[in-house]
Amino acid sequence: MTVLEIILNKLKPQYMSESEVAGSDIYMHESVTFRQGNKYLINAQSGHGKSSLLNFIYGSSKRYEGHITFKEETLSGHEAVIFETQKLRTHIISYMFQELCLFPELTAMENVQLKNRLTNHKDNSEIESMLDMLLPSEKKGQPVGTLSIGQQQRVAAVRALCQPFKFLLLDEPFSHIDKENARLVANLIIQEVDAQGAGLIITSLDRSDAIPCDYILNL
Amino acid sequence: MLYKLQRKTLIPIQLTGYIVTLLVGVSIVLLAVQAYYDLRPVLTEQTGVFKAHTVTVSKNITIYKTVNKKNIYFDNKELKKIEQQPFIKNIACFNTATFNAKAAIRFEGQSMITDLFFESVPDEYLDVQSTEWQWDSTSGFLPVIIPEDYLNLYNFGFAESQSLPVISKNLLSQVTFNIIVEGNGKRKIYNSRIIGLSGKINSILVPDKFLKWANVEFGTQSTTSESHPSRLLLEFTDANDERIPHFIETNGLNINKAELEANKIVSLLRFVLIFVLVIAAIVITLSVSFIIMSFNLIIQKNRKLFVNLYQIGYTTSQIAKYYKWVISIITALDIIIAALLASFTRSIYLKKLTNIFEIDSNLIPVTISASVLIITILVTYNHIIHRIVSHTVKAD
Repeated sequence: MTVLEIILNKLKPQYMSESEVAGSDIYMHESVTFRQGNKYLINAQSGHGKSSLLNFIYGSSKRYEGHITFKEETLSGHEAVIFETQKLRTHIISYMFQELCLFPELTAMENVQLKNRLTNHKDNSEIESMLDMLLPSEKKGQPVGTLSIGQQQRVAAVRALCQPFKFLLLDEPFSHIDKENARLVANLIIQEVDAQGAGLIITSLDRSDAIPCDYILNL
Repeated sequence: MLYKLQRKTLIPIQLTGYIVTLLVGVSIVLLAVQAYYDLRPVLTEQTGVFKAHTVTVSKNITIYKTVNKKNIYFDNKELKKIEQQPFIKNIACFNTATFNAKAAIRFEGQSMITDLFFESVPDEYLDVQSTEWQWDSTSGFLPVIIPEDYLNLYNFGFAESQSLPVISKNLLSQVTFNIIVEGNGKRKIYNSRIIGLSGKINSILVPDKFLKWANVEFGTQSTTSESHPSRLLLEFTDANDERIPHFIETNGLNINKAELEANKIVSLLRFVLIFVLVIAAIVITLSVSFIIMSFNLIIQKNRKLFVNLYQIGYTTSQIAKYYKWVISIITALDIIIAALLASFTRSIYLKKLTNIFEIDSNLIPVTISASVLIITILVTYNHIIHRIVSHTVKAD
């Protein structure tokens, strides 16, 4: 069993000055390690580059200084690995985007299936039972564009769970979800993360207590 | 799902526009290519020499000249003058035999002998293409070309009035006979056959190489002396040059006007075909550019969709696949339909043309051109679509 680590060296968004990131637990640090199996909460006010950090790790933005490396810890030691972008996005890291990136003309089920068919990680009945848990039944057949933001967030959360991953990145996952539903979503997430033995990096302003984390970092 | 998402991004009116313009453009190109191929005999071979605007000229024969025959020949000075005209590209002389020649044929035990004359022109001016048109000093076979008019004269004139059977070109070329060449106390007999009929050169022709050799061997010509030709082949840079008729007239030359006109028609026909081809090529280019632009527009309009697909893990190939397939299938079908359309149109004009020309042709040009078009256009599309998609989703 190998353990994946994400290591950040002197990372800083290009568009932020050094004084802006002073006092950060992550930016401009010599080395910060996220280890598979651990849960990390990243705290910050909005505009401090939380989404940017996740985008840097996910490879969807390159506008940073410093280095991000992936290392696999095996019995024989640490070994740097490079993942091809789409392999990273389908097998290594799953990402629930703050802007959700759903397809408004597709239904909730179709949105999740579109992601799931890349890896066939879940079967249809598993997907349906997850959606049943989080959405009113009459909403399942509607195009996602007609759902409330909170409902869309739940669909995006389910979609993020429908692939194999070693890290799950959640960007403000509960910003529009009430406490009860947040608990349901959090349970599903924790269940899947633990089942896959994955690491979790979550950024949150609200309900940061929904998922208990091992480490809390201030950005 | 991906199909459902991407299908909605296509705009039917754009696709229809593309299908129609491509169909028109490709049909015309294929038809023009096929027509050029079908009309090759007219445009090239039958008019062989004349493809470069060549005509035969001689001096006008007047009463005075019938007495003083010297005046029907062109001397060096005259040749030079003609050669220096700006509208003359090339000039070649007819060589005339200066020896005695007879043709002998055996028919039902009887042999018939007739006197003959020979002329020759440089091979490149011939309008008959044949592999048999060869001669060397060891060869016992002497190929002959006679004017097509001779056969017509026999078939429609002589045979008709004498109730004799008519002769086809094919049959004529199978008849073998002997040619007896005499002079300077020497005599030689050759096997011979008419290997072709010339529609343009009104003379009995033998290979140029043979005539030059035989004129020395049997004739009055020495290796060094120059013969003075009575007929010339003139190659014009442009048969439509207005100075030509004036020059011909003021210099007392005789030219076959129909030949000159035919040359003009052939040039015109060739020009029209090329013009049509160019226009059709432009239509195709526009139609291809149009669909590429439309596609670019589709991508820009649905940029978020494509970026999202890339974000959740779809590769550029997976994203581009649907568009590649749609455009490839539409284009291939369109070109195949255009090929059928062109073949159909061809069958119509062929009915008319076969009455005028002997057309020995097939549909290879349409098939090859259509296949080349399909391959070229599809490769281009697949490459460009992939590039546009890749560029869009990786923009950030």
